[in-house]
Amino acid sequence: MEPQITPAEARAALEAVDRSRLRVIQEIDLPVWYWWGLALGWVALGFITDLKHPWLTTAATLLFGAVHATVAPRIANGRHRTRRLSVSADIAGFRTGRLVLGCVAALGVLTVGFALAANADGARHPVTVASILVAVIILLGGPRLLAAIRRNREAALDAAR
Amino acid sequence: MTEPRFDELIHPGTRLSIVGLLAAADWVEFALLRDKLGMSDSALSKQLSTLEAAGYLAVERRVSDGRRRVRVRLTPTGRGAFQGHVAALRQIVAAAESEHALA
Repeated sequence: MEPQITPAEARAALEAVDRSRLRVIQEIDLPVWYWWGLALGWVALGFITDLKHPWLTTAATLLFGAVHATVAPRIANGRHRTRRLSVSADIAGFRTGRLVLGCVAALGVLTVGFALAANADGARHPVTVASILVAVIILLGGPRLLAAIRRNREAALDAAR
Repeated sequence: MTEPRFDELIHPGTRLSIVGLLAAADWVEFALLRDKLGMSDSALSKQLSTLEAAGYLAVERRVSDGRRRVRVRLTPTGRGAFQGHVAALRQIVAAAESEHALA
């Protein structure tokens, strides 16, 4: 069937489709509780490490890793900020989850670096100090990372026009 | 490559916005869809019923945390129709632009 619409109407319809996509792109995010849980867990792990009980540190690290490994795969992809929608994988971007988890791994390395620096400076609880610094980075940087990902997805939508 | 296919059912503005939003998601709750599109419950229900009758979307009713929730998602038929419609719109725009370039 031949469509009975003008090119201007077709253009307006495509813009309406893009607006709908943008509304969903705005939902790409992680739940706030993830960042708080990660930050508090990080500080707790740092504090436990400073107690210098290897078995306790090992158990806490395994517990932290297990909890994170359970939670992260479902939400780190940015598709489930709320329970009100699930953003499709192609809109959220297939690399979002890997980027978030890569940043978490990088923060682990950063914590070790901060702890070594704090230790060299004579801090009494170097890992706690380092983990508090990293926790602040998580709370401030996590939402910014997702905002950057949303901007990137919007730019990808622009480029596809 | 999606075959361009203009779809009269999807094309009206409100339905196009609904289907466009659903196409970008796996599923959306009715309440969020209503809020995002600034529609009333009854207006949205009416449009969803039309699209559901055509087999373009599925409405799932479930109880979660003691609350009744309604999820809406596009069916593969609806997704295909939407992609074909968008391809048809692009084709119309591209044809007009090439005509304009030749003129």
